[in-house]
Amino acid sequence: MKVSLFATCLTNALYPEVDLTMAKILQHLGHTVDVPEGQVCCGQIAFNSGYIDDAREVARTLINSFEHSEVVVGPSGSCIAMIHHYYPTLFEKEPVYLKKAEDLIHKSYEFTQFVVDVLKKPDLGAHYSAKATYHPSCHATRLLGIGEAPLKLLHHVKGLQLLPLPEAQLCCGFGGTFSVKMPKISEAMVAEKAQHVLESGADILLGLDMGCLMNISGYLEKIKKPVKTMHIIQLLGEGIKS
Amino acid sequence: MTNTNDFISQLASKLGRPTPTETPPPVEISVPQYRLSDSGERASIFLHNWQALGGKGAIVKSSDDTLQCLKEWFGELPITWFKDNPQTLLAWDSLPMVAESAFSTLDWPLTRYTQSTLDPRDRYAIAAHAELGITGSDWGIALSGTIVMNSDPLRGRAVSLLPPRHLAFIETEKIRDNLFEVLEEASALGTPPGAIEMISGPSRTSDIEMDLSIGVHGPIEVYVIVINN
Amino acid sequence: MTMYNLTTDQRVDEALANKFLRQATRRATERLRNNKYKASDELGNWEQWRSAGETIRKHVIANLDFYLRQLIEQMESRGVHVHLAKTPADAVGTVRNIVREHDAKNVIKSKSMISEEIHLNHALEKDGVAVIETDLGEYIIQIAGEPPSHIIVPAMHKTRQQVADLFEPIAGHALSSDTPTLTRFVRIQMREQFLRGDIGITGCNFAVANTGSIVMVTNEGNGRMVSTLPRVQITLMGMERIVPSFRELDVMLNLLARSATGQRLSSYTTILTPPKQTADSDGPEEYHLVILDHNRSEILGDKIFRTALNCIRCGACFNVCPVYRQLGGHAYGSVYSGPIGSVITPLLEQDWKKWGHLPYFSSLCGACSEACPVRIPLHDLLVKLRMRKTQSGHTPQVEQQIFKAYRYFFTREKTLRRALRLGSLLQRPFVRNHRITGGPPPLSNWTKSRTLPMVAPKPFMQIWADLNNKR
Repeated sequence: MKVSLFATCLTNALYPEVDLTMAKILQHLGHTVDVPEGQVCCGQIAFNSGYIDDAREVARTLINSFEHSEVVVGPSGSCIAMIHHYYPTLFEKEPVYLKKAEDLIHKSYEFTQFVVDVLKKPDLGAHYSAKATYHPSCHATRLLGIGEAPLKLLHHVKGLQLLPLPEAQLCCGFGGTFSVKMPKISEAMVAEKAQHVLESGADILLGLDMGCLMNISGYLEKIKKPVKTMHIIQLLGEGIKS
Repeated sequence: MTNTNDFISQLASKLGRPTPTETPPPVEISVPQYRLSDSGERASIFLHNWQALGGKGAIVKSSDDTLQCLKEWFGELPITWFKDNPQTLLAWDSLPMVAESAFSTLDWPLTRYTQSTLDPRDRYAIAAHAELGITGSDWGIALSGTIVMNSDPLRGRAVSLLPPRHLAFIETEKIRDNLFEVLEEASALGTPPGAIEMISGPSRTSDIEMDLSIGVHGPIEVYVIVINN
Repeated sequence: MTMYNLTTDQRVDEALANKFLRQATRRATERLRNNKYKASDELGNWEQWRSAGETIRKHVIANLDFYLRQLIEQMESRGVHVHLAKTPADAVGTVRNIVREHDAKNVIKSKSMISEEIHLNHALEKDGVAVIETDLGEYIIQIAGEPPSHIIVPAMHKTRQQVADLFEPIAGHALSSDTPTLTRFVRIQMREQFLRGDIGITGCNFAVANTGSIVMVTNEGNGRMVSTLPRVQITLMGMERIVPSFRELDVMLNLLARSATGQRLSSYTTILTPPKQTADSDGPEEYHLVILDHNRSEILGDKIFRTALNCIRCGACFNVCPVYRQLGGHAYGSVYSGPIGSVITPLLEQDWKKWGHLPYFSSLCGACSEACPVRIPLHDLLVKLRMRKTQSGHTPQVEQQIFKAYRYFFTREKTLRRALRLGSLLQRPFVRNHRITGGPPPLSNWTKSRTLPMVAPKPFMQIWADLNNKR
C-alpha cells in the first residue's frame, strides 16, 4: 500500500523524530510512504477558538495536498478527529469541497488505528522493557472513538509493563489554545494529571497525541520529576529496532 | 401579562411553521424495562429494596402477623404517646382489613385525619403532633422499593408527610415491577388525582459535605407491611 | 458576602487558591459521578435509554408550541392561573403581585433554579417579605448570601463548621458541627415555617402536557411540604421543561434520578395535577404556574443551539468536567455553572461582554457530551458559541490578528518552513538545556508553569525532502 503521511504541524515543527519514526515503521511493515507537499495543519487550533474562516482555508490546503493519496495516516488523534468530526461543518456550504472532505475522512486514520484496525497488525515484534502508563487523549478517545487499538499495540510489546493511570479519563489541560488562554485552570489540570502519572509508578508516560504529551512533560520537567515521555510511535520504533 | 396566543405563535414562528392543530404522533420508545421473571418474587424483591433504602418492613398473611409486626416495631411506645396526645396515631379514613383489625386488637385507637377537625390549619397541626402516620397504598414498585399513593378526600397528604414515622400497608397484588407499569395504569385513570406521591424510603439529604443524613423534613422512619392474602 | 462583584480572573484565582473547595468539589463530583455509573450500569442498556431520552426531548422541543398550549389549556380548564413571563422581570413582577394580593408575609420555597435565574428572593425581600429556602443546601447558601456552587448540591463548598457557624445566630447558641445535629436543627427550624407559610413556591422538574401535571423530584420532603400545606402555591418553570404524557415521563424520570444522584427514584417523586380536588383536605386552594421564556424562544429559533433546551438539569456534566473539578461553581459567575451553564448562560443573557468568558472555560475534552443523559453535544455547542462570539466581533483584536497570521503561514508550507527556520534561531535566548523556559506573552502563559520543546533545527518536511533528494 502507498501510505501518505500527515506530519501534523506540531510534530513537524517540534518533534520531527516522531514523524520520521512513523515513516520507518510503515516502511518496515512493507509499505511505500510518501509525504505530499503543501500539507501543513488540520486547522483545529483556529476552529476550536471560533475562527471558522481561518480554519477553513487551512483545512482546504490540507484537503488539496492529500487529494491524490490512497490512504492518509497521522500521529495524532486530535488532528484526525478534527478532520472526521468537523470538516463536514467547515464545508457544509461548499458542495465541491464537502465531497473532497468526505473523501479525505474515508481514507484518513490515526496511526494506531491504522496499524491495528486496517493493517490488522497489533504485534509489531517489539521489545521494550520498562514500566509505562498510558494517557488516553480526549479527542482520540471521545471524538475519534479510537477504542482499544493503542492498548492492543502496547500489550504486544515484550517486556513492557503497562500500569494503570489513576483517573485516566481526565483531560490533561492542553486543549490547544486553552492552555494559553486559561493558563491557571490549565496548570491546575496538568498538575493533577502529573500527580496521577507519578502515582502510577511508571517510568515512562505514553500517549498518541504530542500536544498532550508536550503539556504533561513540560509540567513534569518544571517540577523536576524524571518521568520520561514518549509517543507510542517512538516506543514502537525503538522496540522494533531491538 | 403576555397573551397566550401571541406567546404560542411567536414560538411557532421561531420553529418556522404554524402550530400543529393535532397532537403530533408520539415518539417510538423502545427501552428494555426491568421485568421480574418470577412474579412470585415481586413482594420479596420489593421488600428487599425498601429495606435497602433504610425502611423497615415485613410480609404478613393475617391480622395476627400484623399485630406481631406492630408490637415488634413499636413495643410500648404508643402507650407513652397516648398519654400526651390522644390523636397520636393518624390514619386514612379506611385501611386494609388486617390493619384495622390489628390496631383494634391492640387497643391503639386511630385518629382519622379527614375527620379530626374542620380547619386545614388545625388539621396540619394535628398531623405535626402525631407520632405515626398510617396509610394504605395504590401501587408499589419492586425495582425501586417505592410506595405510590393517590390523594383522595378520604385520605390526606399530610398523613404520610408530617409525622416523624410513616407506616404504609400494601397488598401484594398492587406491586408492579417497574415505574412504567404504574404510570401506564395512572394514565388510564383519566384525570389524575391532585397528587400522586411516590415514596422510596425515609427523607434524606447529602447537602452537607456529601454526608448522608436520614430524616430531614419528611418522615425519619418508614415502615411497610405487605399483605399477602 | 456576594460572588457577583468579582471579575472572572479574580474568581478563578480565588477558586484555585481555596484548598477546601477543591477537595470538596472533587469529593462531590466523584461521588455523584460514581453513583451515576453504578446506577446506569445496573439499569443496563444505558445507550438505549439515552437515545430514548434524546428522542423525547428533541420531539418536545420541535413541538414546543403545541405542548405548551396543551399544558396551558389543561391547567386553565381546571382553574389554575397560568402566567407567561417573557423576561425575568415579568416573572418577578408576577410573583410579587400574587404575594401582594394575598398580603403574604411568609413565603416558603423549595428548590427552583428558575427562582435563582430571575433573582426572585432579592426582589421579594426588598418588598419586606420573608422568603425561606427550605431545601437544606439552598437554605445554607441563602444565609451565606451566595449563589449555588453545584446544580444538585448547591452548598457542597461549605464545611460542616461553616454551616454550624451560619446556623448559630439563628439558633441563638453554638451548634455542634456533626451533620445529624445540623440536620435536626433545620428540621425543627423549618417545621414552624412550613406550618406558617402563606405562599409556597416550588420548582418543576417536568410538566406533563396532556394532563396538566407538575412533577417534582426531591429527597428531603420540603417539596411536598411546600406543595401541600400553604393555601396558595406558585410553581416556576422554564418553558422547555415539558413531556407529552406519563409515557415519556417514565423515561425521563429513570434518566434523571440515575444521572443526578445514582438513585433508581428519588425519595419523593411527586406528580401534582393542580389544583387539588375540591373535596381533598390537603393541598393549595389557589395554584399559579409561572412559565418563563427569558430568551429560550430565541434559542428555540436558533437551529444550532436548539439542542441546549433538551437539558433536564441533572448535573451529570458537572461531575465529569475537568475544568469544573478544579474550580467549583462560583468561578463561573453564573447561577448555571459547569458545562451546561457555560452553554446556556450566554444564550439566555445575550451579553458577550458579561458572559463571553464562559465558552472558554473548557478544554473541549468532550466528557460532558459523553455524560449527558439526553445526548446534548455540549462540547460542540461550546465551539459554536466561540464561533458566534468571534463572528460578532467581540474577540480581542490581537487574537484576530494572530489567527490571520496563522492562516497566512499555515496555507503556505514553504513559507512556514522558512518561518520555522527563523524561529529556531530566535528562540536561542529562551533556551536552557534544550528546552524553552521563558519568553514574552502569550508564550509566558505557558512557560510560567511548564517548559517547551525547542523548535527543531529542521522541520520534518525539510528532513523528508533532504532524504529524498539524497536518493
